[in-house]
Order: sequence, then structure tokens, then C-alpha cells
Amino acid sequence: MIQSILRFLSSVKLAITLIIIIVVVSVLGTLIPQERSVGEYYGRYGGLAPLLMRLQLTNLYHSAWYIALLALLTLNTVTCTLTRLSPKLRKTFRPRLEAEAKTLLAVKDSDSLKMNSNLEVTAAAVRQALAGRRYKARQRAEGGGIIIFGRKKVLGWFGSDIVHLGLLVILAGAIISSLTGFRTFLKLEKGKAQAVPRAGFVVRLDRFDTDYYPDRHNVKDWKSRLTVIEAGRDVRSEVIEVNRPLAHRGFVLYQSSYVQEIKSSLIVLEVLSSASPERAQTVSLRPGQSVALDKTGLTLSLLRFEPDFVRDNGGLISSRSEELNNPAAQVTLSRAGENLVSGWVFARFPEFSMTHGSKASDTKVIFRDIQPGISPDFSIIEAAQDKGVPLIWVGCGLLMTGLCIAFYWPTREVRFLLEGKKDKTVVTAAALGSKNREALSSEFAGLWKELKDQT
Amino acid sequence: MSETTLFKVALALYACALAIYLIYQFIYQFRTKEKLGLAGWSAALLGLLAHTAALIHRTVASGHAPFTNMYESLSFLAWACLAAYLVIDRVFKIPRAGFLFLIVVLALMLLANSPLMPKEITPLVPALQSYWLWLHVSITLLGEAFFAVAFITSLMCLAAASREKKGGQPSGLSAEKLDAISYRCVAVGFPLFTLGGLVLGMVWAYKAWGTYWSWDPKEVWSLITWFIFALYLHTRLVMGWKGKRSAVIVIIGFLLALFTYFGVNYLLAGLHSYA
Ligand code: HEM
Repeated sequence: MIQSILRFLSSVKLAITLIIIIVVVSVLGTLIPQERSVGEYYGRYGGLAPLLMRLQLTNLYHSAWYIALLALLTLNTVTCTLTRLSPKLRKTFRPRLEAEAKTLLAVKDSDSLKMNSNLEVTAAAVRQALAGRRYKARQRAEGGGIIIFGRKKVLGWFGSDIVHLGLLVILAGAIISSLTGFRTFLKLEKGKAQAVPRAGFVVRLDRFDTDYYPDRHNVKDWKSRLTVIEAGRDVRSEVIEVNRPLAHRGFVLYQSSYVQEIKSSLIVLEVLSSASPERAQTVSLRPGQSVALDKTGLTLSLLRFEPDFVRDNGGLISSRSEELNNPAAQVTLSRAGENLVSGWVFARFPEFSMTHGSKASDTKVIFRDIQPGISPDFSIIEAAQDKGVPLIWVGCGLLMTGLCIAFYWPTREVRFLLEGKKDKTVVTAAALGSKNREALSSEFAGLWKELKDQT
Repeated sequence: MSETTLFKVALALYACALAIYLIYQFIYQFRTKEKLGLAGWSAALLGLLAHTAALIHRTVASGHAPFTNMYESLSFLAWACLAAYLVIDRVFKIPRAGFLFLIVVLALMLLANSPLMPKEITPLVPALQSYWLWLHVSITLLGEAFFAVAFITSLMCLAAASREKKGGQPSGLSAEKLDAISYRCVAVGFPLFTLGGLVLGMVWAYKAWGTYWSWDPKEVWSLITWFIFALYLHTRLVMGWKGKRSAVIVIIGFLLALFTYFGVNYLLAGLHSYA
């Protein structure tokens, strides 16, 4: 009973079946959008929706049955590797030195030859030829002859086992990650400190900078200077950025994103008068601020700023998003309480404005820029604890090492049967190896020639 | 020379190589054939040099690795495929595959050059500014390039096998030899793909997002591709499959790799949709 279960679990047929099943359902999982709302599934699949959800095809990769398939494949790999391991170890450390001329000659790279030296001398010549090519030789006398096995790169037999072990370690890491992994987002305000949940330490955001590309709109990087505080004391201070997290006591802190309160943007406006161009003036101000323009005696107020201006059918103005897609500023330009110009101006369309003036004034307000370099107010930091990660990297290391060994460190074996015929010896030999046969063939040919030259 | 000029020079040289390899198919005299094979290889190599210069030019101009949009990564894939072919041809002498192979490379180049692919250098979003990304993409594409060579030799293997079955004269390489070459290509491509596509992909994702695996469609499709090539290795090593059946698995595997590369971007959405 246990025997047949083991045989089933270690069979390569099971592996192939499992791989095919996993491939097919994984494809399904990428075709059906994952983890959406129930309503969306009804909209998309109608009456089929309940079935898909019951089968967990809508959250496939976290479903018990999908994970069970992956676990079964790993179990399959492990049992298969283990059942083959002990014969392999025996073959490596205690090989049975047995050879028959007939079976040797059935091998592709094999040959037979009569040497003019006696058994012992021939054996010494064979061992020397093997040693010259870095083969380790084992020898046993049998009947009236001698059997010699020469081998090198024996590690090559274990490449696949190392690969399979790597897969097991990766799966173990993944299980630990999914069972114990913990992640949370912190919204940190400049100058303030916050406890990292479950971590037993506190972080403070000292600085938060945004770097822009020269076009001044595309963000190049976000940098947060964080100080870790333990028991009321600053223990370390580091700048983190996207792709460069900070690791502390098993927690990793990532720069995730930022929150910029619109009210704090600094808007650059230019006031132009077509009658007197020399009195043009550029000012920067935040929403809600006013500034007196000394050259003209006018007052410019910035009432409101919208980063992505839209106006709905009812004339209601808002932002479509927090992105700077269509930045717009509501301004008024007044002198002694009387509005000369008021309305909206747009950064992307300097020639266009939605303003009206009382005295058909020749004065214009132009939206020049949103000042880069002012830092957003909140930095969003992701704090993650994942104890499975070290195992993942160890598993990946084993996987890659195993692959290199399996493909590029092929074991080679040359078996000799020496039969003494009076003071002459008949030598029969075969070269075995499953990888890179061309190189093996030429090595065997060289070895054979060396022996032949001695007759 | 500007990047565009270099790119066009490369394209022209590849077209020359294609023409030479086409003539090669119709010549039967051994000496001429040998010379043509060498000429095709040399033209392709010159093209590759111009192409290399174009890629370096772009890297210097943009300040980042040349595979952050579809134009750049297609161009790099064409480059990697041709480089892989030139190496494999040196080792195994398969000028017969040159014709089919240059069709693939030219198709990739023309696709990259088509107006469908925006060519402006765009600023990189912060998550893409990582040397792990350079390694991840370049090594994956290099692995896929070797799968591409295996794909072509597997197609030729299928053709040769059916010719041999009909008792036809084996012209050129035997199915057995082509099968062995396919295997050697997979033996290079599989470790590269594992390293680039899976391992370095996980490292990069971990550095950028804090999770090494998030089941995004591109990740799932890479895993599927990887499983199929694992299937190829196991059916071969453990069950002794060879020839036609092995060739079919390689062909399926390469088509899956192509879908992972193109299809996922255009048909399925996910984290990788910008790459
Ligand atoms: C997806 C998971 C797997 C991967 C990536 C993998 C990878 C490999 C690799 C790279 C080799 C060496 C191939 C060669 O030298 O040409 C190998 C060999 C082998 N694998 Fe797997 N394997 C996987 C799953 C399995 C499973 C589930 C089984 C079990 C039934 C299995 C059984 C074997 C056997 C029996 C060998 C030959 C061992 C030898 O004689 O050296 N593998 N595997």
C-alpha cells in the first residue's frame, strides 16, 4: 500500500500530468480578471459568474486547490529525487565494478584492442592515461582480468537533485511568506513620528524630496529621510527611495508614494499688460494668498488651484484626478476692491483663459508654472515583514547552481575490461555520459590513441 | 552617425544577409555553398555591429538601458536573437537555418521600426530606475533568443523528420542532428531564462515593491513558459523522447515565450504593462 503510494508520488508521469494541469488552469487565471467585485463578474459572465466564483477561478492563485497543486508537484519532486538518491549515492561512493565485453561494446563510444604487454603493465598504462585526463580510477581484479572504472565530474549527477532541492526551498519560503507575511502602509507627515505596527520601533520622517526630470512634470524620484527610533532614542537615519528600501529588525520600509495636498502647491503666475510690456511681473503664490504688484498697484489673488481641471454640464468645477494633467488656477486681479480680471487660467494653454474683466482691460494673467521642488506633505511608506524571503534567495541560489551543474558539469565515465591472454592483454572499453557526447567522443578517441601507440 | 541611421544600416545589412541565405538554399555546388554561408554570416555580423552601435547610442542618449519601451525592447530582442544565432552557427554550422532566422530578425526589426511603436525617449518612472531591471530584462531576452534558435531548428527538425520518413534524400542536416542542436540551445536558454525571467524578476520586484511574486499575468505566463521547457527536459531525460515530439514541445514553448513578451502587454493588463 505505502509502496504503491510512494511509487505514484515519485513517478514522472504524475509530474507531467501535474505540470500540464497547472499550465492550463494558470492560463485560465490570466484570462479571467482576478479579485474583482461580484458585480463586475455578473456583468462580464452573467449566469456563469457564480460557478466561476465557486470554483475560485476569480481568485485562483490564492485558492486552496491551486496551492495544493503546486504543493503536490513539489512533493512529487521531493519523493522522486529521494527515491533516486540512494542508488545514486551508492553508484557514486560504492560502485559495483562489473563489466562484460559484450555490453561494453554495445555502447556508442567503445572499442577493443590487443596490447603487447601483460595484465599489470597494461592496467598501469590505462590508469596513467586516465589520470592524465583527470579521471579518478577504481580497480578490481576479477577472474583472470582486471576491471577499471575511470570517472570525473561526479558532481554532475547531482545537478538535478540540487535543482529539485532549490524548488523545495523556494516553496517552503513561499509558504512561510503567505502564512506569516505582514505588510502595512504608513502615511508619514514631515517632522512627525509614527510607530510601525508589530515592529517595536518608531520612524520619523525628517525630509521628503521629490526630484523632477528637466521637463519639471515627470517625477524622477522620491526620497524620504527616515530616522528609526527605539525606546525614545534615534538609532539610525537613512534616505530611502524607490528601489532602495531600508531594512531594520526584519522589517523593510519602502518608498511607496506620496500625498500632496493641493493647498500647498506653489503657483507661478505672470501679469502682463499689452499697453506697457515693461511692467510685466512674475509672482509665486499658494492658493488662498494675495499679493500686491508693486509695479502696477494691482492686487493678484489666487483663489483656487485644480491639478486636472474639468467642468461638468452644470458648470461645476473640479479635478478629475490628482495628476497634473490640466493644471488650472482661479485668479482675480483687482485695484481698490474692483475686479479688473477674474476667472480661470491654464498652464497647458497659456493663450486660452476663462476670464472676464469689468473694464475690457489690457491686462492678462498667465499661468507659468507649478513650482517644482516643493515637497509633498506626506510620504507613503510601506512596511513589510516577510520571513520567507531569505529562503527564497537560498532556493534561487540552489536552483541556479543546480542548473549550471546539470548542464555544464557533465559526469564522464570510462569503463575498461582487461583480459590477460598469456603475456598479452585484450582491452575493451566504453565511454559513458549523457551530456555533451561530442566532447566525450573526442576525449575517448584521444585516450584510445594513447593506448594504441603503446602497443 | 545618428541612432536612426545606424539602425537603418543594420536593417540593410540584415536584408543583405537574408538575400545571401536565400541564394544559399538554391545552390548545390559544395564550394560555392560554403562561401555563401560565410558571406551570409559576415553580413549578419556587420549588421549586428551597426545594431550594437545603435543600441549604445540610445543608451548614452537616454541615460538608461535600451529596453524600457516596446521599440527599444523589440530592437534589443532582434539583436539578442541574431547574436544567439551567430554563436550557434559558429559552433554547429547551420547556415541552412540562416534564411528562416533572418526572416524572424527582420520581422522584429521592422516591427520595432513601424510607426506603431513610439520611439521618443521617455523619462523613466521611479520603479524602473534599477540595475536589477537592466539585468532582469537583458538576461531574459537573451534566454528567449536561444529559445528562438531552438524554435527554428525544431521546425527544421520536423521538416527533416517527415522528409526522412518518406525516404527522401537527407539534404543538409539530419533530424537527429537538428534535434541535438535544439537541445543544446535549450540547455543555454533555460538557465538564462530561469535566471533572468524568474530569479532576477523576483529580486527586482522585491526591491521595488516589497513582494517577490504577485501573480501578475506576465509572471504567470513566464512561469508557464518555464514549466513547458522543464517538461521538454524531463520527457527527454527520463522518458527518452526525441525528434518530433521534443520539437513540438520546443515550438509550443517558444510560442508561449512570445505570448509572454507581446500578448500579455496588449491583451492582458498588469504590473508589467509599461515594459
Ligand atoms: C517544475 C519543476 C521542475 C524543474 C524546474 C525541474 C528541473 C530539472 C532539471 C533542470 C533537471 C536536469 C535535466 C537535465 O539534466 O537535462 C531535472 C532532472 C530530473 N527531474 Fe526534474 N524538475 C522539476 C520537477 C520534477 C518533478 C516533479 C519530478 C518528479 C517526478 C522530476 C524528476 C526528475 C528526474 C527523475 C530527473 C532526472 C534526474 C537525473 O537522472 O539526473 N522533476 N529536473
